[in-house]
Amino acid sequence: MRSLVFPRVSKTPSARPFAQLFRVIDLIHEALVDGVPVTKRDIYYKDVQLFRSQATVDRLVDDLAATLQLTRADLNVRASSKGLMCGSGVTMHMQSGETLELCDGDASLIPPSEDIKRFAVAQTLAWVLVVEKEAVFQTLCRLRLATHETLPGSGLIVTGKGYPDVATRQLVKTLADNLPARVPILALVDGDAYGIDILSVYKHGSTRMRHENSHLAADRVQWLGLWASELASLGIDKDALLPITKHDEKKARSLLKRENLPARWRKELQYMLFSRRKAEIEVLGAARATQESIADLTQAASFSHCDFNRERAGGSPGTPLSRYLVKKIGDACTESGHSSED
Amino acid sequence: MSLAFLHAHDGAEPHSDAVWAVNWTNADTVLSISADGVIKQWDSISGQVSRSRPPHTLGLVSLSVDPTGKLALYNTLEGLTCLWDLEDGELKGSFESYARGPGAETTEPSWSVSLNPRGGTYASTGGSGNVTIHSAEPGSFGERRATLTSGRSKFGMHCKYSPDGSRVAMSSEAGQIFVFDVASSSIQAAYSSHAMAVRSFAWSADSTLLLSASEDKRLILHDVRVSSSGKPGSGAVATLSGHSSWVLSTDISPDNKLAVSGSADKTTKVWDIGARAAVSTVQEQGEVWSVSWRPKPPAHGTAGAYVTGGEDGVVRWWRSAGAG
Repeated sequence: MRSLVFPRVSKTPSARPFAQLFRVIDLIHEALVDGVPVTKRDIYYKDVQLFRSQATVDRLVDDLAATLQLTRADLNVRASSKGLMCGSGVTMHMQSGETLELCDGDASLIPPSEDIKRFAVAQTLAWVLVVEKEAVFQTLCRLRLATHETLPGSGLIVTGKGYPDVATRQLVKTLADNLPARVPILALVDGDAYGIDILSVYKHGSTRMRHENSHLAADRVQWLGLWASELASLGIDKDALLPITKHDEKKARSLLKRENLPARWRKELQYMLFSRRKAEIEVLGAARATQESIADLTQAASFSHCDFNRERAGGSPGTPLSRYLVKKIGDACTESGHSSED
Repeated sequence: MSLAFLHAHDGAEPHSDAVWAVNWTNADTVLSISADGVIKQWDSISGQVSRSRPPHTLGLVSLSVDPTGKLALYNTLEGLTCLWDLEDGELKGSFESYARGPGAETTEPSWSVSLNPRGGTYASTGGSGNVTIHSAEPGSFGERRATLTSGRSKFGMHCKYSPDGSRVAMSSEAGQIFVFDVASSSIQAAYSSHAMAVRSFAWSADSTLLLSASEDKRLILHDVRVSSSGKPGSGAVATLSGHSSWVLSTDISPDNKLAVSGSADKTTKVWDIGARAAVSTVQEQGEVWSVSWRPKPPAHGTAGAYVTGGEDGVVRWWRSAGAG
């Protein structure tokens, strides 16, 4: 709980926090009266001298919404889009009348939920993958993982480009609330404290927006990987792992202090602190040939031999990353399929 | 020459997570600490648990036992250091090294801890790369008494007093080993034999040798004798190579002839120090985080016994097969 006090005994004038608060209220009021939505960035630019930093505006808007027990959208403050998505089998119908058809090889910007009238999901959608890093997302897009043949069905890949913005979280939450139980929603994050924190934001909500948790926290999200403990089985040498930094250590220790931390997360964080190494997703590129990958190669050889018409070598092993994901997504789908049958 | 070491028995109840340290005490018991937050005392003959403490929330990362085998000092991942009396099973001291002290002094959580064999104090190391001496007296347990500065700010992975209590050594994540003289609180020697983290090291029973275990897959033997003129020993005198991944822990046998090492390559090796060669390699189930020799000199014609603890949570006893 924050309180602003005026006047205050201080070296610098103490009117600024008040002026900032009232200006934000003024601009939001204008947006509500005129019916023209504003973004937090717009608000900041209206008076850069007064606000001095974007973070101040962000904080004031969220605090106001929390105090008035409204959502940001109720204040007519739009979220700007940061997240990306790609995949097949999803069509979005916008308030403006446009239709957004998702494609498996190209990314689309995730629109804020207030712009979406409804969206339709094909029966063939079998999985959803939420990815932490944009670079990994672009790689998966390029590899057309969403329509990979060895997977049990087509999929949707989403990224929040790090800590997700509200629009991305709203999308994941809507999917979580409406998709059938047999469709797993999986998160691929780095095996470090920040990755686990991002997973926690999708799954349990963030502290800043906790007043909106009921429509932002998607508890159904499962942690697909990357786990430090599975690296040995993937043929990744310990020396390929990055050492943890002081920031990583501090973040990990603060995560471990949280109550109700899932046991798996605690185990991975402890292992990370004890070995003093973290498993970033890029480390998969360092995987040596393991039994599985050699088997993949021989399988690919037999495939390409008998079918010359395949556009891309569908049976090819692809990169270690796609091999890893295909196996894990496949396993997750089978498991969800079984548990939803009960 | 090869020596065979046979699997004697396993601990009766495994830990529910990795065993991060084991110690074969002079009371002929074995202590083990685990990532599951539990410390157990085992009877070496039967493998049964004779004492244990209720689990801590986080794992236990460091263990040190006094020369009588009756007091155990251990530290949790968050830096809660505890002194456990094994005779009556009571906690005689606990210290929150992560708590901010009065006067806003900069504090850092402890990582590795070591009891002074002469009693009264214990040493700890952590993120700052220095060794802090704390009181080990029940009344003032944990109070910081002195800081031994290494001059480097690399994470201190392991610290241990020499068995004669005159020196304390610390190894860092950057690979350096510092030996401090306790009486004068000054650096006596600094070794840069490794370029990668030295996760653990062992003193020989007579405090003349120091064997370091590093992520560079090697163990290096250091001569750390102090001559009467005060000149330090010659430093690195031997390299033991053979592991295919990080060497996680090591111990020197009571007669200074053999060394045992546990590695991330899931094997335990026994080395003949004089010949600088491995004489036994045993495959384990997971990474071997900790190894400890039986401190009692072995019977004539046998090479001794040791205990290991690793990723699978099982404490295992090994003994030599007999005269080679």
